[in-house]
Amino acid sequence: MLNESGSIARHSQHQTGECILQARDLVMEFGPKRVLDSITMQLNRGEILAVVGGSGSGKSTLMRQLALLQKPTSGTILLFGKDVTNWGEFRTLPLRRRMGVMFQHGALFGDLTVLENVSLPLREHTGLSLETIEQIAMLKIALAGLESEAAALYPSQLSGGMRKRAAVARGIALDPEILFLDEPSSGLDPISADAMDELVLHLKTTLGLTILLVTHDMDSLWRIADRILLLADARIAAEGSIHDLVASGNHHAQQFFHGPRGRAAGASHDQ
Amino acid sequence: MDGVRAQQSLGNRAGFSIEGPLARCMGNWVAANLHDVEKQLSHEHWPTDRLELNLSRISALDTAGAWLIHRTLHTLDASGLQVSVTGADEKTRQLLDLVKARSESTKEPPRPYLPGFLESAGRKTASQFSQVFEFLVFTGNLAFVSMHALLRPWRIRWPLVIKELQNAGVNALPIVGLLAFLIGIVIAYQGGVVLRDYGANIYIADIVGLSMVRELAPLITAIIVAGRTGSAYTAQIGTMMVTEEVDALRSIGIAPLEMLVLPKMIALLIALPLLTVFADVMGLFGGMIMSSAMLDLNSVTFISRLTEALSLDSYLSGIGKAPVFAGIIAAVGCYQGFRVYGSAESVGRQTTVSVVQSIFLVIIVDALFSIAFSKMGI
Repeated sequence: MLNESGSIARHSQHQTGECILQARDLVMEFGPKRVLDSITMQLNRGEILAVVGGSGSGKSTLMRQLALLQKPTSGTILLFGKDVTNWGEFRTLPLRRRMGVMFQHGALFGDLTVLENVSLPLREHTGLSLETIEQIAMLKIALAGLESEAAALYPSQLSGGMRKRAAVARGIALDPEILFLDEPSSGLDPISADAMDELVLHLKTTLGLTILLVTHDMDSLWRIADRILLLADARIAAEGSIHDLVASGNHHAQQFFHGPRGRAAGASHDQ
Repeated sequence: MDGVRAQQSLGNRAGFSIEGPLARCMGNWVAANLHDVEKQLSHEHWPTDRLELNLSRISALDTAGAWLIHRTLHTLDASGLQVSVTGADEKTRQLLDLVKARSESTKEPPRPYLPGFLESAGRKTASQFSQVFEFLVFTGNLAFVSMHALLRPWRIRWPLVIKELQNAGVNALPIVGLLAFLIGIVIAYQGGVVLRDYGANIYIADIVGLSMVRELAPLITAIIVAGRTGSAYTAQIGTMMVTEEVDALRSIGIAPLEMLVLPKMIALLIALPLLTVFADVMGLFGGMIMSSAMLDLNSVTFISRLTEALSLDSYLSGIGKAPVFAGIIAAVGCYQGFRVYGSAESVGRQTTVSVVQSIFLVIIVDALFSIAFSKMGI
């Protein structure tokens, strides 16, 4: 247990580029409908991988499976080099401290303040004093770009952007190695969405996080994604850097990146 | 040498040692391992003039560890000690800078405002009064909508009424029947013990009949329906409030009261009296079974005594209360549903309030009925 939690932001044997999360032949079926079909992908330490695709292309399902929130119908998931596909709830607990998840709508606990929400993982998994825990939580809240005053608020008192930031703060409470972000900029105004992209980049460089994000925000793709996985019809349609995908002749990539929005985002980025 | 040995025995834990002016941090300084070090640091005997803090033996560090180091340095610095940090590699320095840059935010974490006793008592009182007022407004609106509907009965949504009748009435038959039956048995038993001593077995029919038909059947049925149907009304309307479905109804020109409340009200006004009749029958049946088992009173005698004991007045005074109870339950249930605000959590809270209030009001009104009936001599 200690071994698995004891290697966070810095470790001599950790190097960027090693594969820390891998999926092989992942299949997910809901009744007769196949949502994911033989997905094989990997996530390398230190990168920002964006999973994109139209609504219903299974990108959120893929993220939920990689974050060990849902079991695949078949296929294997290797997390930190271990096959965790059939691990039970209790066996995966130590691994969960090494992963943080920001849910699409925050999933903050409604009867706890922001500070209490962010403190919760620290209270649960460390033996530190309450004073220290709250100081660390305040650090994370500041790191996520929230004002100190927001710490005393309840989730119902937060705006959409603040809620997402608070959710990020809770996600990074234990300094995870992998951070999953489900649509970090959806539902935000353009300025907040830009700030959210900024935050993701900032977290990557300062905390050395590996980030997997699900998005369909074209601007985010241009600005922050190191690598992109394009899902279409439950399969991986294309994979590579944004430049690769824009240049590729792949039908789905063409549709996705050469629509009016895709082109506008690309053009504004080139300037 | 001591330090090296200490580190070997550390394994994955975090360690701290101090020898003269040299202090060392060792091992994995990550959140999960820091509790012992935290205690050690707060009770440490620091040298008085200067200190070298060596970080070269740290094998892993996260923001929690960095914060602990930063905080220690900060307090030592403030106490006038000359502290120098050595052996920090690039990443360690980055993390220390990161927490230092945001250390301002950790001063005095803000707390949510908690009102004092007087303020919360005042607010509570004011909200109770305004709730009574709002409930009156709600019943007024409901009465208006009902009048409107009575004048145009074809506009009432009868399919919805029938659906609600099924839910509130037919589906409640088993539980209402079973409970009334059991209560009939209990009353017959309790009464029977006393009556047998006096040889007045025959009067068991009076006891079971009057208590069941006049009081217990309407009351028990109303309480079950309040718990079963009133709560469902609150939860349904409350969920629709949260998901803005109620506003959606308004936006397409349908009055929520007419669509959501009126069918429920009509259905319950029909269902509750019928359920009460059913409870009467089942309760008397339970009493009859118990009488014949315990007091050897056969069913023919029981029933013939019952016809003498129970006047039509008694029967009607029981049934007559049911529509009033139905009105209370439907109005309170729906009203509390419309009071749901914000999150799903509020749905649960208002559902509880709805059940408590409707049962409370049902019992109060029942008591008022008793007083009124006794004055009227029924």
